[in-house]
Amino acid sequence: MSLFSRKPKVGQREDGLGISRKYSLQPGKCYIVEESPPDLSFDAFVNILSTQEEACAKVTGLAISRQHPDLIKQKYGLEKTPIFWLATRAGQDVIAPTNLGILTHTIVKFIEDSSCGVILLDGLEYLVSNNDFNKTLRVINQVMDHVAQSQCRLIIPVDPRALDPKELALLERNAEKIVGANAKRA
Amino acid sequence: MKVLIVDDSEAFRKVMIELLVRVGFSDVVEAQDFDEGIKVFQRDRPKISFVDMILPGKSGVELTEEIVKTDPKAVIIAMSSIVNKKMIRQSLDSGAKDFLLKPTNEIALGAVLAMWSD
Repeated sequence: MSLFSRKPKVGQREDGLGISRKYSLQPGKCYIVEESPPDLSFDAFVNILSTQEEACAKVTGLAISRQHPDLIKQKYGLEKTPIFWLATRAGQDVIAPTNLGILTHTIVKFIEDSSCGVILLDGLEYLVSNNDFNKTLRVINQVMDHVAQSQCRLIIPVDPRALDPKELALLERNAEKIVGANAKRA
Repeated sequence: MKVLIVDDSEAFRKVMIELLVRVGFSDVVEAQDFDEGIKVFQRDRPKISFVDMILPGKSGVELTEEIVKTDPKAVIIAMSSIVNKKMIRQSLDSGAKDFLLKPTNEIALGAVLAMWSD
């Protein structure tokens, strides 16, 4: 297995549910959602994947999360969306939190292969605790640059209690901020 | 405009009422199960009803069917804490107009109300 062998399967769209679109997240934009637990972020991710979009017939998704993929699939009914687990265990759909190269490559590859995808990156606090904030921020900014040049959307839930105000401000500098109902500041 | 919430969790109903007030809907009635839901619906004729799909006794799908029998123009929004595609399709087939994942938030609730309150 080569270093960058993790390739999310792009092109498999979730079946539409016949429900309405509730979130108007714009293509090419990144959204930092201040909340804990990440309910709004997952709801937006699933809602976008489960609803039709006039401008794009084929919205595909990529989820990277601290929560186990089986739990996510069960709770949110995702059948075709690739889900990677941020964890230190070995496995096919696992990304180690210290392996920021693989993490970046997985997301960038998805953006390149997807005409209009939606990416959920859940577990930023875990990445910060396993690396350092500046290193993690560099990765996020790199991913945000790729998103800005694409028709993809990036959703990053953040627990504002886990970061200091300066770190939060740096993170939100190139993104749109959404404050969830359950957000509590440090 | 009157709104009905049918959910067996009192805590969830309180949160929903708070959210509804925040998005501008303060005329709210509530019920905890099928029997109370149909009774309150027939008495108050709410414009929109938020119905949890899993209720003690008869289900939210059955309540949706009963409400639609009473008033074919009733706007029912199905709710659940998991995305069970089979159950969502059953709800939509039985007359629900839309689906909300629990716990919901101002953005999703506001969008649903904007879409179905006219």
